[in-house]
Amino acid sequence: MKFDGTDFIFIGFAICLGALCYATTGAVALREALVQTMSLLLAILPQLAGGLLIGGLIKQLISKDKITALLGANSGMRGLFIATTAGSLTPGGPFMSFPIVFALWTAGAEAGALVAYVTAWALLGFVKLVVWELPLMGFEFAWIRFLVSLPLPIVAGVLARRLARMRAFQMKDHPGS
Amino acid sequence: MSLALGTLGLTAVVLSVFVYRQSGTPGLRAAGKDALNTFKALAIRLPCALLAASFLVHFVPVDAVSGVLGRDTGMRGIAIAAAAGGFLPGGPMVTFPIAVVLQQSGAGWPQLVALISGWSIFALNRLLTYEAPIMGWRFAILRNLSCLLLPVLAGFGAEFVLVFIEAE
Repeated sequence: MKFDGTDFIFIGFAICLGALCYATTGAVALREALVQTMSLLLAILPQLAGGLLIGGLIKQLISKDKITALLGANSGMRGLFIATTAGSLTPGGPFMSFPIVFALWTAGAEAGALVAYVTAWALLGFVKLVVWELPLMGFEFAWIRFLVSLPLPIVAGVLARRLARMRAFQMKDHPGS
Repeated sequence: MSLALGTLGLTAVVLSVFVYRQSGTPGLRAAGKDALNTFKALAIRLPCALLAASFLVHFVPVDAVSGVLGRDTGMRGIAIAAAAGGFLPGGPMVTFPIAVVLQQSGAGWPQLVALISGWSIFALNRLLTYEAPIMGWRFAILRNLSCLLLPVLAGFGAEFVLVFIEAE
């Protein structure tokens, strides 16, 4: 196990809030918070482990090249659906998704597909769902949020296509051309 | 919860079969190693984040939260949550513990859906550190404009689904 700066920020954060909690509500509340956190951790651990494993497996199956090849110059509604699916399957944070979006752009994908892809990654990201939302927010909440978000990347994609026709938003030719 | 674990287990098994067929045992080993590395990275941060959130619950004014983001706040609460979500700093390790705190403090589900969607879609610090530098401002504005109403739509959708479920 290795410590880095981010760990210290989180440790410092916990200590500061713990001190504040002690100062405002006393030792009982402090103990209560510790017990609550322990039981929450124990409850989410199996799901977190499962989620991380799924994330690792998806990373093996999906590569930047594969997504780019799939989405290259696809257009029409079909392009938006493919972009939505690809986005929701893309694991990892923005350091993973935005380089893919850039690659898609240079591969000739149009604005609607790019926007649908980013929106799907943000709203429907499967790995984020199973690693974070499912354990912490519960199955029912995660399910409802996922369900209502399902059509939204398409909505954003269609809207982006309209906007991209306006002069102010006409994207300049991709950097690869 | 067993339903959630069952779904996760089944998904992991199916994906394992795909990975095995594509790249055999080394692929599976790499996936396991990747999962373990992420776990190690989270091992300290996540308990601290959850602990911090749990401390926070004790002095967050619960009445104030349920007044602003409670289920009864309707459209206004959804709109406030959607906007606030965009300003939440950091990744899921910060956002989801905050969402847990708000949930325990009486925030409604539609409002929480709007908050999480707002964070997912706008995430100001992601815009400044990744989206604009990599894709340029023109794309960043186009994308955020196209997505402007989505968190509110998601909140409304959740309200609709909940009313439907509660009517059953």
